[in-house]
Amino acid sequence: MPRALITGITGQDGLYLSELLLEKEYEVYGLIRGQNNPKRDLVERAVPGVQLLTGDLTDLSSLIRALNAAQPDEVYNLGAISFVAYSWENARLTSEVTGLGVLNMLEATRLYAGTDMSCVRFYQASSSEMFGKVQEVPQRETTLLWPRSPYGVAKVFGHYMTINYRESYGMHASSGILFNHESPRRGPEFVTRKISQAVARIKLGRQDEVALGNLDAKRDWGFAGDYVEAMWRMLQQDRADDYVVASGETHSIREFLDVAFRHIGIEDWSQHVVQDPRFFRPAEVDALIGDPRKAHERLGWKPSVSFAQLVETMVDADLADQRTMVGG
Amino acid sequence: MPTALITGITGQDGGYLAERLLDEDWHVHGLVHASDGHVDELRRRTSSVELHEGDLADAAAMSELVNEVAPDEIYNLGGISSVAFSWEYPLLTAEVSGLGAGAVLEAAWQLKQRGGREVRVLQASSAEMFGLPAQSPQSEDTPISPVSPYGAAKAFAHHFVAVYRARGLHAVSCILYNHESPRRPPQFVTRKITRAAALIASGRQDSLELGSLDVRRDWGWAPDYVEAMVRAIRYPHPHDFIIATGESHSVADFVEVAFSHAGLRPWRNYVSLDDRLIRPVDAAELVGDSRKARTMLGWRPVVNFDDMVRRMVDSDLRAASS
Repeated sequence: MPRALITGITGQDGLYLSELLLEKEYEVYGLIRGQNNPKRDLVERAVPGVQLLTGDLTDLSSLIRALNAAQPDEVYNLGAISFVAYSWENARLTSEVTGLGVLNMLEATRLYAGTDMSCVRFYQASSSEMFGKVQEVPQRETTLLWPRSPYGVAKVFGHYMTINYRESYGMHASSGILFNHESPRRGPEFVTRKISQAVARIKLGRQDEVALGNLDAKRDWGFAGDYVEAMWRMLQQDRADDYVVASGETHSIREFLDVAFRHIGIEDWSQHVVQDPRFFRPAEVDALIGDPRKAHERLGWKPSVSFAQLVETMVDADLADQRTMVGG
Repeated sequence: MPTALITGITGQDGGYLAERLLDEDWHVHGLVHASDGHVDELRRRTSSVELHEGDLADAAAMSELVNEVAPDEIYNLGGISSVAFSWEYPLLTAEVSGLGAGAVLEAAWQLKQRGGREVRVLQASSAEMFGLPAQSPQSEDTPISPVSPYGAAKAFAHHFVAVYRARGLHAVSCILYNHESPRRPPQFVTRKITRAAALIASGRQDSLELGSLDVRRDWGWAPDYVEAMVRAIRYPHPHDFIIATGESHSVADFVEVAFSHAGLRPWRNYVSLDDRLIRPVDAAELVGDSRKARTMLGWRPVVNFDDMVRRMVDSDLRAASS
């Protein structure tokens, strides 16, 4: 039975990846931070088959301990401070967790592998935020990286170090450059979930309006459940490599609002949305749109959920969620 | 009196820069690490520099220091300076050379926010960020693709500069190609060669062992590069600048000029090769295209390759005979 260790187990991707690997009969270990992590219950409820180990991406010795305990064949490094807006206020912590944390995981994995580097494979969750001020449209694996946020800078560092460990130590280390991927499990601080939650509450008469930043910001959005499948496929290849994982389509926040509100029967949403300059980013990234051809060709991967399906699924999940909350 | 803060002030560039700024009557502060063994040497050269003990990796202390000194210009020259060392200490390299730059930028940004006045930051970036570049020479637009922990940490710092610049901080990145001087520490290949030439010429050493003679680099004269940094930080708008000579020379070229100048001919009689000195991954030809700095800053290197090597040999010959 193959064994996997996942960092960032409490996040959206960690949960979907756990489900995928448990289905494939992996023994799954999840790294969880702190002695009294409030998200522990959530993980234990959502994916009861996962065995939790405590550790922190900023503490190398805790990672070495976790690797030795899990004895994994595959390591998925999904843990990060993942919220771009937060990274402006907390540049240091973001650098330490999202940037140095990757190097800590690579070192821990190298030390765990010892002289037999072929005993373990490593996945690094890189991000389209690395493209920032985009130098090419659509973005490919070879596109020049030009990060515009502390989060993007930290992710770029993790990406380079993953390549360094692959090239210099022969580690099977792959970097998945994932474009935005959403789901009902997305945290409500992210704009997509913020919208789907607000739309559900508006439908139920619990809220009148939602404050958003730049409505013209465009992103390449996919479904998280599809994207974790691509991660797993990367580690099943003979050779480690870098892959862009994206839908290849771009949509604006406006389009997201169109689909979400239409789903609850509202065509003109203008009275429900206010623009609030506080939610504008200090530096907006430009036309982020991925070219996933390499992942299509080499991994045989294709997304199964369309943009409209994704938005509707999120609104439906929030409607169900809100209905169970009495008085909400 | 305008005030500057220099990290890495005991290094080769830090010393030249401190002297350059003191000549203009600037008030110069420097950050030194508690275990830094070069403080006395710096003190001998520049007694009026105000030194502060601290660590780039300690963000809180950096923020306090920047607040206390309230500099007009900050030159972040500190960090791990060797690619080979970075393979042994990848985490320390990332903390000091990568996150350390982040700490300096954040501290400058906070000071600017609080004080409402301009604080300028210059980051000493490195051509090692380009890794194994597809194009030569490299310009400010060449893809960054480091192949060592040192290069990755420097790339992190360079990207952070762009992030803070977009936020409104006057943050400048100089992508410096190799630059040498008699003050280069002897573990660097250039100084290792000139010192060996002097010691062999004075009969105190027999031969010199080198890893590779074919590696090519774009080598310039350190004081010229310090001049470029000062011009870059004072340019009205913050930019990235490549600082390089645009010429590449092999290690063999360097040895030839150095050994001939010391009267050791043919140099091959004194040099042997040692595989152990080859780096895990060595960057291909790094040559910089500094047209942007030449046009916008009016900068150009003054000391050419042969003169630079000879000055280094002369200095080592003086040291060997004293």
